[in-house]
Amino acid sequence: MGVAVEVKTIAPPRLHLVFAGLGLAFLLIFSWVLFHEGTAEWRTTQARFRRLETTVKNPHQLAQSVSVAGLRQIWLPDLGRVDRCGTCHLGIDDPAFTGAPRPFAAHPGTWLSTHPTDRFGCTACHDGQGQATDYANAAHQPQPFVSRPMRPLETIEANCGACHRALDPPDAPRLAEGRRLIIEWGCFSCHDIPGFEGLTFRGPALDSIGYKVRPGWLSVWLGDPKSYLPQSRMGKFRLSPDEIANLQGFLLSQRAQAPLDNTGVDWKKADTANGRALFGELRCVSCHAVNGRGGTMGPELTRIGDKVRRPWLFSYLKDPHRVQPDTPMLRYRLTDDQLRDLTAFLYEEYSSAGAGPEPTPATYQDARLLAAGHAVFERRGCASCHQLAGTKDTGRIGPSLAGIADRDPDELPYGSNIVRHTTDNYIFLKVLLPDTLGQPSSMPTYGFTPADAAKIALALASIRKTDLPASYVLRRPAPVPYRPGGKFGELVTRYRCLSCHSVGGFGGDLSTVPLDRIGSQLQHDYVAKYLLNPGAVRVSVEARMPVFHMLPEEATSIADYFSTVFLDDSIEQYDTNFTAAETRRGEELYGQLGCEACHQLGTKGGYVGPELSASGARLKAGWIAAWLSTPQRYKPDTLQPDYGLSSTDVRALTAYLSSLGRRDAAKARGGDAR
Amino acid sequence: MRARASRAAAIMALALTTSVACRTGPPSQPGDPMLDAIRAEERQGDLSYVESQGKHLFLHYCATCHGDEARGDGQNASNLSPPPPDMTASKSILDATLLEKVITQGSAAVGRSPLSPPWGRSLSRQEIDYLVAYCQSLSRKKTQKP
Repeated sequence: MGVAVEVKTIAPPRLHLVFAGLGLAFLLIFSWVLFHEGTAEWRTTQARFRRLETTVKNPHQLAQSVSVAGLRQIWLPDLGRVDRCGTCHLGIDDPAFTGAPRPFAAHPGTWLSTHPTDRFGCTACHDGQGQATDYANAAHQPQPFVSRPMRPLETIEANCGACHRALDPPDAPRLAEGRRLIIEWGCFSCHDIPGFEGLTFRGPALDSIGYKVRPGWLSVWLGDPKSYLPQSRMGKFRLSPDEIANLQGFLLSQRAQAPLDNTGVDWKKADTANGRALFGELRCVSCHAVNGRGGTMGPELTRIGDKVRRPWLFSYLKDPHRVQPDTPMLRYRLTDDQLRDLTAFLYEEYSSAGAGPEPTPATYQDARLLAAGHAVFERRGCASCHQLAGTKDTGRIGPSLAGIADRDPDELPYGSNIVRHTTDNYIFLKVLLPDTLGQPSSMPTYGFTPADAAKIALALASIRKTDLPASYVLRRPAPVPYRPGGKFGELVTRYRCLSCHSVGGFGGDLSTVPLDRIGSQLQHDYVAKYLLNPGAVRVSVEARMPVFHMLPEEATSIADYFSTVFLDDSIEQYDTNFTAAETRRGEELYGQLGCEACHQLGTKGGYVGPELSASGARLKAGWIAAWLSTPQRYKPDTLQPDYGLSSTDVRALTAYLSSLGRRDAAKARGGDAR
Repeated sequence: MRARASRAAAIMALALTTSVACRTGPPSQPGDPMLDAIRAEERQGDLSYVESQGKHLFLHYCATCHGDEARGDGQNASNLSPPPPDMTASKSILDATLLEKVITQGSAAVGRSPLSPPWGRSLSRQEIDYLVAYCQSLSRKKTQKP
């Protein structure tokens, strides 16, 4: 009743006012929308562009240019992207706008010719909000609630990595370095990391470690590997003293295989001077560093005497493959006396004064301690890197990193670090300081420099959750394992050729010379002689081929195999009937082109490239010609530039280089035997 | 009724002031440690991205003669006659066209010794642009040094 009365008294006279008010409100909103649209940021930007265009281009060009009006967008259904960046970045693919002010400047570099916008859009490389049409909403700068704002150029290579899956992607040095570090540090031993499948990282096998190391060293090592070896690739596991004691006892009880018998060795007769000479001759430093200098393939030897027991070292040098079947170390052909001298040298020269006498291998009988040590071993995932029979295969102990770049940054822990919440920063902190993110972490601390941690994080930030269409992805070529059989296979295994050289992309990269076409490059007799006493072909390269103490018949077998199997048919045949005029012309060209800047001839010249004094006795003519014509075809990042030589000039240079170091040819040139 | 309205107004005012305070308050800018780490390394000497890309190439292709800092003191420099110049002190690096010509066609193309080879066929256009940019940045470096 009361309601009816109210309606009667209020509604009829004021209804027209309500409608009038509403109408006015709609009109206002409508005109505001019109006004807002008319003065939208992108419209004013386009107006500015049209004004700029008249100053940048001449009337003829202006007549030809497409009129700019309205939103522009690129729709890439394959990538699930709609990019409207071109609405404001109007000069992006027009060279006339090179150096123009932002946002109209042409894209720097040649990126758009290799990554055309109609195929890649903008945000695939740069991130940001492609659908936005104003500066702020496009997330040029970090914005709240935008998980992927535009990447600064410093980290943009993370997005290169989404498509470029090669371990060494072109034009992306930071990404390449990050991926190299991931391989070097073996992150994929504990984490499943897409893109690193099939790679292995191995620490030493621990089956007989009780015979190998000194107990004191082991507890120091388990506490902090870097205190013994600053370059150690084992991280610091932040173990408690009890855990260290238990693990030490457990490991020292591992004595599966006794070292080779050395009872006949008279250590008193050891000649450390001879050991020192051998150490140099065997080129140990190509793989092992001493006092911070030398290779990194093997462990640094600066304090090896503090670490290992003498009988073990003798046995290991005699047959490293027996202790660790997958070691990259070769098995030298040395006599017991030589091994004794070398062992004694290493043992005495490379130990600190406080190492003390070698304790006898201790026997740990305390079952509780052993069980506790075993538990630590399994809990911390030691087996991810170290082989030890009788322990549970814990597989990859760390979480999978698949899709890590697309983790929600606001759900990740950052601990007490005051950082912007981004996936990048999370990965970076986790790599650098795994125990500071406010969560218990089993990940060891590796002691990376911030710069290295940033590159690793950058490489990991390229691992996205949803995979891209196959047509966009440049996959890493899977290396096909190369395992030759027979006598050659035995030699390759014994001398570990593939620790440094590669065949078909499989093997090491310490050497600059892959073996795939070695038979077409080098002369048979040269190879057979070189293997017996390898010298320095590249004067400035520190890592040199070891002197294997190989038997002459072994060297010949290898040379035979090279010259019949490792051939490149496209460079085999070359007419070597050079005329004296060709040789003379080659010598002239050698000077004119400035070859001496990098190559040594006699005592003159640089030592960037191989020395050429005896190139006629070393290289096959066909190879010289092929290499001079297209060096980058054979080695993309070589320091040998492509001079664009004519085939006549190539032939002349080949004639000249083939004559060097050959007596018959020297005579023909008039007795000038350089 | 009135009490409720005033309470609502008070809450509204509080919300407004807090939001304003948040917007205008002292910016407690959280850091970007990953970015800082890269900048600290790559932008030493104040290099832009393009210049730092050029530096990578320079270290690979050029430094063995020209030296890591382009001072003409690479490990191979002593074998060269004439030796490579100290680029940080050279006026030539101000001229981008000249730099590009030397890198692309070799030093012989500008009437100097043939010891610096032509890279035009071996490096991409992009890579040469990077190298030019890095070489030009060297002049800036020099003026900054005391």
